[in-house]
Amino acid sequence: MFVNILNGVVYGSFLLLTSLGLSLVFGLGRVVNFAHGALYAMGGYALIAVMHAVGAGYWLGLLVAPLLVIPIAIAIERVAIHPIRHRPDVDTLLVTFGLSSMIVGGIEYVWGTGTRLLPPPSPFDAIVYVFGNQYPIYRLAAASVSLLVSASVLLVIQFSPVGLRIRAITDDPGMAEALGVNRKRLLTLVFGCAAGLAALAGALGAPIFAIHPEMGMNILIDSFLVVVLGGLGSLGGSVIGAFFVALTKSIGGGYFAEWSTAFLFLVVAFGLIIRPTGVFGRGRVA
Amino acid sequence: MRGLRSAVFGCLASVLCLSAGGSAIAQDAIQVGVLTIRSGPAKPIGDDILAGIETATKMFGPVLNRPVELVVEESLFNAQAAVTKATKLVQQNKVAGILGTSTVETLALLSVADRLGVPIVTSNSGSAAITRDRCNKWVFRTNAEDLMSVESLQELVKETPRLQQAKWFTIGHDYPWSRLVAGSVKGVKDLQYVGETFAPLDTTDWAPFIARARSAGATAVIMPVTLGVPLLQFIQQANEFGLTGTAVLVSPIGLPDWLVEKLGSTSTNVISAGSWAAWRYEEAWPATKEFNEVFYAMHGRVAGMQSLQSASAARMLYSAMTKAGSTDPDAIVRALETVEVNTPVGSLKFQPNGRQALVPLFLGPYEKLDAPRYGATYAQRADPFPASKSLPKSAAEYGCKL
Repeated sequence: MFVNILNGVVYGSFLLLTSLGLSLVFGLGRVVNFAHGALYAMGGYALIAVMHAVGAGYWLGLLVAPLLVIPIAIAIERVAIHPIRHRPDVDTLLVTFGLSSMIVGGIEYVWGTGTRLLPPPSPFDAIVYVFGNQYPIYRLAAASVSLLVSASVLLVIQFSPVGLRIRAITDDPGMAEALGVNRKRLLTLVFGCAAGLAALAGALGAPIFAIHPEMGMNILIDSFLVVVLGGLGSLGGSVIGAFFVALTKSIGGGYFAEWSTAFLFLVVAFGLIIRPTGVFGRGRVA
Repeated sequence: MRGLRSAVFGCLASVLCLSAGGSAIAQDAIQVGVLTIRSGPAKPIGDDILAGIETATKMFGPVLNRPVELVVEESLFNAQAAVTKATKLVQQNKVAGILGTSTVETLALLSVADRLGVPIVTSNSGSAAITRDRCNKWVFRTNAEDLMSVESLQELVKETPRLQQAKWFTIGHDYPWSRLVAGSVKGVKDLQYVGETFAPLDTTDWAPFIARARSAGATAVIMPVTLGVPLLQFIQQANEFGLTGTAVLVSPIGLPDWLVEKLGSTSTNVISAGSWAAWRYEEAWPATKEFNEVFYAMHGRVAGMQSLQSASAARMLYSAMTKAGSTDPDAIVRALETVEVNTPVGSLKFQPNGRQALVPLFLGPYEKLDAPRYGATYAQRADPFPASKSLPKSAAEYGCKL
């Protein structure tokens, strides 16, 4: 049971990184970003590109990979999402879906369709005993990095001037714009940062889940479950949702594997019916 | 002026003759359809299938003194797409046969095979039904089916003392084949079976399932996990959690060779309970060696399980065409029923009054080679398990009524 809880916390930390970005982008621009999973995959590939092209070590690659993805995401936002932002939500949904296919296609074109294994970096490639249970050190290290970065994002949103603007637009875009907040520029910035978070999660997850063009698909589905459960645009809800989804998958996988996915979707469906604005009631009904 | 006119006319006539000749050559080629996966995570499997067919075509063509031209179509691993593309291959490309299909495509084509009316020789389809209760006049199979693999798995357990004494656990995907494999392990007399868990098909994190095997004290884990990325992830994570240090991993149908190379030394913790093919069979069978050498020269890598199998299917089809003396579909089917050929997976023929090839399975552990061969450093040891043991009854007894 303990190992399953630990697994849930580790996976939850990855989900938190990806779902925070999804939630921020929706809160700010009402963009349901289906390309988020592809940006996660791009993080994995940016990592191996840095490691192989420059000969950098894993940790330097981990630092640089999101920085490579951010400008690409900003360009995508300016070219493909910005011009249609005032159209109905379904338009941006379809565009980001198409973008996702294009990014995955681009990855396949450049790196091929094969899977790449990346061993955990030394000295994190060993096993440690946690309360008498063997557990890979790398998973604990990756979860710590994810949680640290997620906490930093939440602190920035809560206490910085930029965070104040983001919250203002999420709560009341019309009033915030009337008070001089530049929503367009902020959305571009947030889209880039959200992509950076997804890329970081992809790079962190690479030694665990392997790198392949479709690697973002499953985490995208789980991240959407998190965001829907927590409330669209609610960051606090995303925190609860990420760990709920991850722990359900992990503990469910350990004890009722065949039913865990069905149970998860049932909870989300039930949550949507009785509390469509998420666990804290602060989300939006799109 | 007249001379100039004659020269122009002559040139035009020559061009027309040449183009007519070219067209005659193109029409003269025998078109063979290859319907396989060409994109997505399973593309490496499709790559191996296609490479095997290309190699066999180079080695065993021309057929009936006519060049063989492959028409490749993407199946998307999707039943509807497979039917559409197969129909296109038959109606537009006029193919004389279809190769390269996997389980999803083959099951879909069974329902339209009579309408398509060309022989389909599959080499990558596990579902037993294809050549048992759903067998069809047009659909042949060269790879061993799931229930044959079950027999070889039971043989492996009986013949290996280490496995007989082990505590067995199944970690598989949540679908019927996994449960069939789990059931076959449980069916071995006096075996200690300590548990099983079946993961959803979209599983990427195997940690909860590995934790269950560990807590059950498993020392042998059978892993009926989908070939490709999921199996790679599972073995990598089993190694990460130290499961490979305490338990032997048993793959019910072996590992593709591209996956073995990616796993490297981790693959030495795996035993195959019944691969569909193994390139190291070349140590006992010259036809495998001959094929491996041509394959390596053409593709620069070792011939994987799917390549050896698809090449064998192509070899069977081409030999049947030769025996039939024409590309008439009915004649090819009749020839396929009786043809017997040395292929890269052994001497093959189809079951009398059936559609399943009497093909061996290959048991054995994965190990490091003394010296790299064909670019491979790790490979399965190939101990053949004959079809007489895995498929002892007649086609009719297995439910095939043609």
